[in-house]
Amino acid sequence: MDNKDNSSRITGLKASAREVREQIIEMIYRAQSGHPGGSLSVADIMTALYFDLAKIDPANPDWPQRDRIILSKGHACPAWYACLALRGYFPMEELSTLRRYKSILQGHPTAAKTPGLDATTGSLGMGMSMAVGAALEGRLTGSAYTVYLILGDGELNEGVVWEAAAAAHKYRLDNLVAVVDYNGLQLDGFTDEVMPMEPLGAKFKAFNWKVYSIDGHDMAEIVETLEQARDYQGKPVCIIADTVKGKGISYMENECGWHGRAPDRRQYQQALKEIRSAV
Amino acid sequence: MNLKQSDKATRRAFAERMTEYGDLDKEFVVFEADIGKSTYSYLFADKFPERYFNLGIAELNTVGAAAGMALGGRTVVACSYGVFITMRALEAVRSFICYPNLNVKFLSSHGGVTAAIDGVTHQATEDIAFMTTLPNMKVLVPADTQAARACFDLALATPGPVFVRLMRDPYYELYGEAENFSIGGSRVIRSGGDLTIVTYGDILFQALEAAEELAGEGISAEVIDMYSLKPFDQEGLLASIRKTGALLVAENHQRRNGLGYELSNFCLKNYPLPFENIGLNDTFAESGHYPDIIEAYGISREHIGRAARELLSRKQAGDRHD
Repeated sequence: MDNKDNSSRITGLKASAREVREQIIEMIYRAQSGHPGGSLSVADIMTALYFDLAKIDPANPDWPQRDRIILSKGHACPAWYACLALRGYFPMEELSTLRRYKSILQGHPTAAKTPGLDATTGSLGMGMSMAVGAALEGRLTGSAYTVYLILGDGELNEGVVWEAAAAAHKYRLDNLVAVVDYNGLQLDGFTDEVMPMEPLGAKFKAFNWKVYSIDGHDMAEIVETLEQARDYQGKPVCIIADTVKGKGISYMENECGWHGRAPDRRQYQQALKEIRSAV
Repeated sequence: MNLKQSDKATRRAFAERMTEYGDLDKEFVVFEADIGKSTYSYLFADKFPERYFNLGIAELNTVGAAAGMALGGRTVVACSYGVFITMRALEAVRSFICYPNLNVKFLSSHGGVTAAIDGVTHQATEDIAFMTTLPNMKVLVPADTQAARACFDLALATPGPVFVRLMRDPYYELYGEAENFSIGGSRVIRSGGDLTIVTYGDILFQALEAAEELAGEGISAEVIDMYSLKPFDQEGLLASIRKTGALLVAENHQRRNGLGYELSNFCLKNYPLPFENIGLNDTFAESGHYPDIIEAYGISREHIGRAARELLSRKQAGDRHD
């Protein structure tokens, strides 16, 4: 791809990310419930996957050869739902039913209810185990799909993440790409105060993973690194993506109070204004 | 009792059938958590190494990875001890296998105090409570090797999660090869008219011995092998208790929230009758030889016999509140 094409590709993805953010805010405002902070921090990564990198077919959600995308930090599902709706897996109107009785959009992701969801998640850490299983399944069936796993930084506290990290190495799962949404905050506070996990890259390296570090809001860098990770051979890959919790909404950024809280009307209007005016 | 002593535990019979079945069904895979030489899943590994995944001493990840492998519909048999599957990995079994209703089957060894000699950390005495409580889960407990083989076939043929509780040690052989087992089925092993004894797994043999002794005293006990705990055979149970008018449930499990609790609830709604339930009485067991432990913790044939006599005298005294 020449520079000009790539530049318009990135510009398009940034516009899609703004739409995703807008839908995240709309959804959580209407539901008056949900997790905006972590949805906004992961929005650019999810956009890069759903609008560009991942081999998917929204008209055929169960296509066996599709890439799998597992958002292990399931509370950030507004970002997942926004991507799926914008890509046409289900009508946009469904987004306004988030967390309601009989909605296809459960409070935490439920694969059986939502077209396009590859796994049920929400209990932290377990997405990593399931991604290992899904990658093993891909290998067993000889499918060339990649399993993209998005992990929260807080959920790395869970021991099962490291059980799964060891297993991914044992089976040399180079069809597994994990992205850590490293926003530095978890429900109770800063990750390095609640449970310090640094040096994080060194931990994954010690588990024999290939590790990249990127700016998780630099779309060009996200796309370029995801491509390298997808093509990397011989090892599972972890991309540690530095992000900002609440990214794009000034009053939410880096505020752990916005982990699981809905904006009021005034905050909602300001949020939309900020997203729409972002470059 | 004229039953043949068994030289093979149900855990081994189940794994042997799994290995044979590997040729019949080329799609299912087996996940193990480093006790393959104890669950006998190594037999499958030797024959089908490419379909066998040993995830190490990491039961939670083993269950989670089994869920990931099963997401697209593939059947996974996940092997470990009952304590680890049903307690360490309980939440993953619930949220990631039962909730999505995936085809994961559990080879769960060391059920109840059949691991008596190993002590409490290896005795799954609450597994039935946890597993029968989970929506979508079916629960089977084969009493002998033929039943174990049949339960493997049933587990694979039944959509969704199935939990099969297996035993550490051999007891007796009861069933022939041609026996018919089904999800929600049960078997009357001994007919009788004075009271019904419902049990499952190893305690079936204690119940049969007790029934033999009771017969010598002129008490005719019907003994039912309720090998399918969830769903259980409601019609079979009703047919028996309508005939006998008294029900004793004996199980190698905590009395609380075991099969007895389920059946007493059912009977209270549908057919109130004199009822007794023996199992571990809100206590942990301890290490020891199996006969000593089941005697000490109230689930041996002596305890079944005593409970049966008391129940019968209650029945005869008209202890029925309808």
